Amino acid sequence: MNALRRHRALSRIWASDPGWKGWFTTVNHTDLGRMFLAVATFFFVVGGILAMLIRAQLASPRSAFLGPDHYNQIFTMHGTIMMFLFAIPFFEGLAVYLLPKMLGTRDLAFPRLTAYGFWCYVFGGSMMIFALLAGVAPDSGWFMYPPLSSTIGAPGINSDFWLIGITFVEISAIAAAVEITVTALRYRAPGMKLSQMPIFAWYALVTAVMILAGFPPLILGSILLELERAFGLPFFQVAQGGDALLWQHLFWLFGHPEVYIIFLPAAGAISTILPVMARTTLMGYGWIVAAAVSLGVLSFGLWVHHMFTTGIPHMGLAFFSAASTLVAVPTAVQIFAWIGTLWKGRPSLHLPMLWLLAFFATFVIGGLTGVMVAIVPFDWQAHDTYFIVAHLHYVLVGGFVFPMIAALYYWMPHFTGRRTYFKLGHAAFWLVVPGFHGTFLALHWAGLLGMRRRIDSYESGQGWEVINIIASISGFVMAIGFALVLIDVVVNAVVAVRGSRDPWGAGTLDWAMPTPAAPYNFASLAHVTSRDPLYDDPELPVRLARGEGYLGDPGRGRRETLAVEIATGVPRYIVVFPGNTALPVLMSAITGLFFLGMLIKAYWLVPISALGVTSCALLWVWGLGRPAPEGALPVGRGLSLHTAAEAADPPGWWGSVFLLLANGTFFGSLLFGYAFLFSIAPNWPPPAYLEPGALPLALVLAGAGLAFLGSRLGALMGHGTVLLGLLLIAGAALPVLSESPGPTLHAYDATVWVFIGYGLLHCLVGMLMWSVVMLRRLSGHSADTTLGAMRIARLWSDYTLLVALLTAAAIGLPGVLT
Amino acid sequence: MNAILRLSLPLTLWLAAFSAIYGLHGLLCSSRWAAVAPELPGRVLLVGATIAALALQALLLAFLRSPRWPQPDAAIRRVSMVLAVAALVGTAWTLIPALAMSHCL
Repeated sequence: MNALRRHRALSRIWASDPGWKGWFTTVNHTDLGRMFLAVATFFFVVGGILAMLIRAQLASPRSAFLGPDHYNQIFTMHGTIMMFLFAIPFFEGLAVYLLPKMLGTRDLAFPRLTAYGFWCYVFGGSMMIFALLAGVAPDSGWFMYPPLSSTIGAPGINSDFWLIGITFVEISAIAAAVEITVTALRYRAPGMKLSQMPIFAWYALVTAVMILAGFPPLILGSILLELERAFGLPFFQVAQGGDALLWQHLFWLFGHPEVYIIFLPAAGAISTILPVMARTTLMGYGWIVAAAVSLGVLSFGLWVHHMFTTGIPHMGLAFFSAASTLVAVPTAVQIFAWIGTLWKGRPSLHLPMLWLLAFFATFVIGGLTGVMVAIVPFDWQAHDTYFIVAHLHYVLVGGFVFPMIAALYYWMPHFTGRRTYFKLGHAAFWLVVPGFHGTFLALHWAGLLGMRRRIDSYESGQGWEVINIIASISGFVMAIGFALVLIDVVVNAVVAVRGSRDPWGAGTLDWAMPTPAAPYNFASLAHVTSRDPLYDDPELPVRLARGEGYLGDPGRGRRETLAVEIATGVPRYIVVFPGNTALPVLMSAITGLFFLGMLIKAYWLVPISALGVTSCALLWVWGLGRPAPEGALPVGRGLSLHTAAEAADPPGWWGSVFLLLANGTFFGSLLFGYAFLFSIAPNWPPPAYLEPGALPLALVLAGAGLAFLGSRLGALMGHGTVLLGLLLIAGAALPVLSESPGPTLHAYDATVWVFIGYGLLHCLVGMLMWSVVMLRRLSGHSADTTLGAMRIARLWSDYTLLVALLTAAAIGLPGVLT
Repeated sequence: MNAILRLSLPLTLWLAAFSAIYGLHGLLCSSRWAAVAPELPGRVLLVGATIAALALQALLLAFLRSPRWPQPDAAIRRVSMVLAVAALVGTAWTLIPALAMSHCL
C-alpha cells in the first residue's frame, strides 16, 4: 500500500462526520482542541471587554460611567471569565490538540470524555454569559467570600450562577486532567521512555495532576455554599456553628495551585519554543522536570498566604511565609535554565521569540513582587490594594498570556498548514507589551498609595488620578494590540500560502506529520529512542507516512493506537477507540439540565436529569470492550499484541485511579472542613452529637467485609455479594439520619448529612458498576474480557468501603468521646 | 508505577508533613484543645513533629539511593534524588518557625 492509499484508508476510518453534524459528533482530539481554543479565545475577548469597562470607569475620579451594581458584576465576571473560562480551557485546548501529536500517538486516552468535557465547558460558560447579559451575573468578587456571597450579602440568583456554573465548567477541567494524565503516562510512541517525553508533556502531566488535586476543594466549597444558600445548611453561618473562614481555606486550597496550574503549561510552551528559537536543545531537561514537579507540589503548601490578614497566629503565618519564599527557588531554576538555553544557542528574533522576551521581563517582575507579598509585614500593608492587582496581572498575563501568544504563533503553521506571514503581529506586539506595562506598572504605585481593589469610584486629591488615567489609556492601547493579534491570526489562517511541514526546524514529533494534521495524526507510529526524534532522523516523517512504523496497516478498519509501559515505553496492548457519536454532547446537555434545575430551583428536574445522565453513562460503558478475546494481533515491526479489552489494567482502570485521586481529595477536603469547624468555629460544640448506636456500625462493618471479599471472588456469586455489601452500607444511613435533628440546625448536623449523602452516592455508583459487570458476564462476555471492567468496579467499591469506614468514625467518634 | 512513585513521594511527604504540622499547630492553639488538655507541652510536640518529618525525609533520601529500590532509567533516578534533597531542604526551611516563633500569639 503506498502512502496516498494509506492516507485515504486511514482518513475514512478516523475522519469526523462531514458538515455541521461533525461539530456535534466529533471525538477527534484535533477538532476538539481547535474548538476548545476558539471558545476560550471568545471568552478572552469577553473578559477583555469587561476589563476595558473597568478601566473606563476608573479613568477619572467620581466616574458615573457605571453604577456600583454593574461595576460589581463586571469586575467579578472579568476575574471569573479569565480564570475559569479562558486560562484553564485554553491550556486544555492546547494540550488536547498537541499532546497526542507530541507523544507520537493518534488520539487522547478517552476521546468521548474529551468531547463531553468540551460540551460541559460550552454549556457552563454559556450559563455565565447569559447571567452577564441578563444583568444577574455574580457580583461578590471572583473568590466569592461569604458572608458577602451568602444569602445575607447576596440574596439574588447572582451567586448561584457562579457556584453552579463554575462547578459545571469544572467537570470539563477534571475530564481533561484525567485524559492528559493517562495519555502522558500510557499513550506515548513505542520506545519513548518517561525521561524522553517532550518537556511540554511533562508540564501538562504535572498540571493535570494539580487540577485533579486542586479543583476538588473548590467544588466542595461551591457545593457547601450552594447547599447553604438553597437549603439553609449553615456551613458558613457563625451563629449556627459555621465559619466564613472555612470558605477561604477551601477556596485558596484550590486558588493558589490554580496560579501554577495556569503558569506551568505556559512554562511548558516556553521550554518547547525557546530552544527551537535559539536553534539549540533545552539546557537542564532533568532540572526543569524537577522544578516543574517541585512547583506542582509546593504550590499546595502556600494557600494560607492569601489569608495573612485573617488573624492567624504568628507561627502559622511564618510557616506559609517560608513556604512562599521557597517556591521562588524552582521558578528561578527554570528561568536560569531558559537563560542558559539562550546563552548556548543562536537566538533568532522571530515573533514567538519576541513574546518570550516579553514574558521574561514581565514574569520576573511579577515573581519579585510575589516574593514581596510573601513577606508578612509587607503583605499586611499591600493586602487588598491595587499593588496585589498589579502583581497578579504581571504573573498571569506575563506568565500565561504572553507565552500562549508565543505558542499561538509558533504552532500556527501546524494549525493552518500555511506559511508564517506575520506583519500585523509585530505591530500588535509593540502595542500590547508597552500597553500592559503602562497599565500595571503604574497600578503598583496606586496600591502603595492606598488605592483599594474592587472600588467602583474614588475621590480626587489622593494622588491616584494621574496613575489611573495613565493605566486606562495604556489599557486601551493593550486592548487594541490584542485585537490586532486576533486579526493577524485570522488573516494568516485565510490568506497565507501553503507552508512546509516543519518551518521552525523543531525536533519533536508534532512536526513529523503533514499540516494541517490528518485526523489520524500518524500513518504509522514511530519507534522513539531520544527526546528529539526529528533531529536524529530527519527522514522519519516520510518513513511513517510509508507505513514503516507500528499500526501502519489500516486493514482491521477501526481506530487503533498503542498503549505502552509507563517508564520504559515498551508497547503493551492495542487500544481500539470509539467512533463518532453524539452521546457526549447529549450527556453534557442533560448534565446541564441537572445544574439548571439546581439553579432555577426546579428540583423536579434534578432527579430526572440525573437519571438521564446515568442512562447515557450506561450506554457509554456498554459499548466498551469485546465479548470474546481476539488473541494477539500483528501491529507491525514483527510485534503482536492483545487488545486493551483483554488487559487487566485497561485505560479505564488508569482513568479511574486518577479520577479517584480527585475524588479522594474531595473527601479529604470534607474531612478537613469538619476538623476545622470542630476545632476553630466559635459556636461549637453543637447542641448534641449524634450517638447512632451499634446497628449502623454493624451494618457498615458487615457490608464492608462482604463487599471486600465479594469483589475478590470473581464469579457471579462474588458480584452479587458485593452488591449486598454495598446495600448494607447504604442501609446504615437510615438509623443515623432518623436520629438527626435535620441538616439546618447546626453546621455539625449539616456536615453529617453531607458525609452520608457522599457515601450513599458512592454506594449507588458502586452498585451500578458491579451490575454492569454482572450483566456483561450474563450476556456472554468471557471472563478474560471482563477482567478489566471487574478491576475498575473493584477500585470504586474499595474506595466506597474506605469512605464508609471513615464516615462512620467521623460521625460516631465525637458522640462516643463526649 | 515505580518511576511515578520515586518522583512523587519526596515532595508529597513534605506536603503531608507540612500540612499535618500546621494542623497540629491549629489544634494546639484552639480553645477546645486548651480545655481538654491545658498542660500539654505544645512546643515540644511541634518540635518533635518537625524532627520526625526531617527524619522521614532523610530516610526516604537514603532509601532512594539504596540498591533496594532500583531504577533502571538513570535520568529518572537523578531527578528523584534532586526532588528528595529539595524536599529535605524544604522541610527544614518551612518548619523552622516551629523552633523559633511563639506558637499561639
